[in-house]
Amino acid sequence: MNRDDLSDAIGGIDGRFIAEAYSHDPEAASGPSERIVRMKTKRMVSLALAAALILSLGLAAYAVGSIHLARQQELRQDLKVDENNAGSYVEYTLPETQEPQGAVLLSAVNDGTEERVYVNVSPVTEEELAGFADGASRFSWSIEGYELGGFAGPSLPVDLNLSGKEAIREALLQYAYDAETQTATLECWLTVDSFKKAMEALGTDTVPLQLNLSTDAGTRCLGTIDFALTDEQSRSFDFGRAVYHDEEFDKEIEIVGLELTPFSAVWKVHYEGDALLHSPGGDQQAGRDWLLLEDKVCQDAQLVFSDGSTFSTGGALTTPYENGVVRQYCGWGGAIDIGDVQRIVLHDLVLWEAP
Amino acid sequence: MDDEGILDLFYERSEQAVTELDRKYGAAVRRTAGNILRDRLDVEECLNDTWLAAWNTIPPQRPDPLVSYVCRIARNLAVKRYRADTAAKRNGSYDLVLDELEECIPSGVDVESELERRELTAAINRFLETLDREDRVLFVRRYFFADPVAQLAAATRFSANRTSVRLFRLREKLRNYLQKEGLSV
Repeated sequence: MNRDDLSDAIGGIDGRFIAEAYSHDPEAASGPSERIVRMKTKRMVSLALAAALILSLGLAAYAVGSIHLARQQELRQDLKVDENNAGSYVEYTLPETQEPQGAVLLSAVNDGTEERVYVNVSPVTEEELAGFADGASRFSWSIEGYELGGFAGPSLPVDLNLSGKEAIREALLQYAYDAETQTATLECWLTVDSFKKAMEALGTDTVPLQLNLSTDAGTRCLGTIDFALTDEQSRSFDFGRAVYHDEEFDKEIEIVGLELTPFSAVWKVHYEGDALLHSPGGDQQAGRDWLLLEDKVCQDAQLVFSDGSTFSTGGALTTPYENGVVRQYCGWGGAIDIGDVQRIVLHDLVLWEAP
Repeated sequence: MDDEGILDLFYERSEQAVTELDRKYGAAVRRTAGNILRDRLDVEECLNDTWLAAWNTIPPQRPDPLVSYVCRIARNLAVKRYRADTAAKRNGSYDLVLDELEECIPSGVDVESELERRELTAAINRFLETLDREDRVLFVRRYFFADPVAQLAAATRFSANRTSVRLFRLREKLRNYLQKEGLSV
């Protein structure tokens, strides 16, 4: 079988599914949400702060330099770095010479599974950035001298809710672009394990990370930065193989532990038949209740903080089976204060409580 | 005009049928073709071919839902044209979709005949039945309609990263499912 066979087969899927997806067409949805209006204010405040700081540096460096500084401040605030003591978030010293072209490393954070890297790149035209909304432009990263690469995308506020192509275009230009300097702010996602392999293969502590832009006109390199993996900040909870009985499915699942970082979580669970279900031949239809129960653990469990507020890690994004447990990886946008977790509960079951 | 009214016009062989079809589903068909083909003229040609195909097949067909019928025709025509236009180069956005689909291909499963291709479609339909609605819509919008990840991210209110990971998880599920089904192909 090749990918064209699969594409052809998908072309023949049941009309019910096509109609269902058509009715969820984002183009049919309404315009920008209230959230955008609030973020506009936030960005104006950030830019005003940056502008005030830059006054002392002289106007010549302002245009390019201010956008790097402003972006660092916006990201720091948006990702709730200070508010929630995200020590693993790293900001880089901005270059003293403000070149109008190329890539500038702003910040990065390692959540244990993925490293998020924030970079300013220029020049990128308004049309090129806006083209990301409909797939006409694509950003990517690659490592020079090593066969590894991945997606990158314009960096938007983590809680921004958008509907429709026009709203996306507007948000891209508003939050991820500076027209004066033709600078776009990108977020790159690197798998930590793959990145380690690249470093090992190249025999270096840093790797040349190249940022690329692809359009119908072809692919061009927007700049290269030397990048090294940053340290992760984590906290592990051992639940002593707590057993949760779910009445809806009448099943019991062992919740082995939780690995928490400010931006992600891995719930480790175990149940009868989990290895088989997560193997290539696993019958997911027959094991549907178990898969739903896995999701229930991630979604329903609550982290309770000292001020009484709670947080749910949300549904898992990947669920590999490793070393006798299903590792449910969950990720989110803004940091949480992992040092302030006081209790972890799943409905009536207290999984962990601070001594 | 509702679908039944449009179909009645087709059955009466009234040319107004195409006008009404274009009015109601023209945007959807343009977008389906436009996600695969970049050239505006190609998209318009694909649109016209879709209406012609609908004209030639209704009657005897009376498709329900009509939108699925015309989007399917448009997609298949666009993919056909895409393959002809990009045989020697790989730089279209649809290539990304195809690259992703490649990850779903299990080892040891081959599709050589039309019968086996139909069986593959049936297996994908069964796979889609196992998904919850949100995942199914995400899958169909990405791999049938070829919607860009950024657009899906905005529609699902997740970051592009999270949407990519979610799609990755769905591809993993499909590969596992097909691997299992492949034993009987």
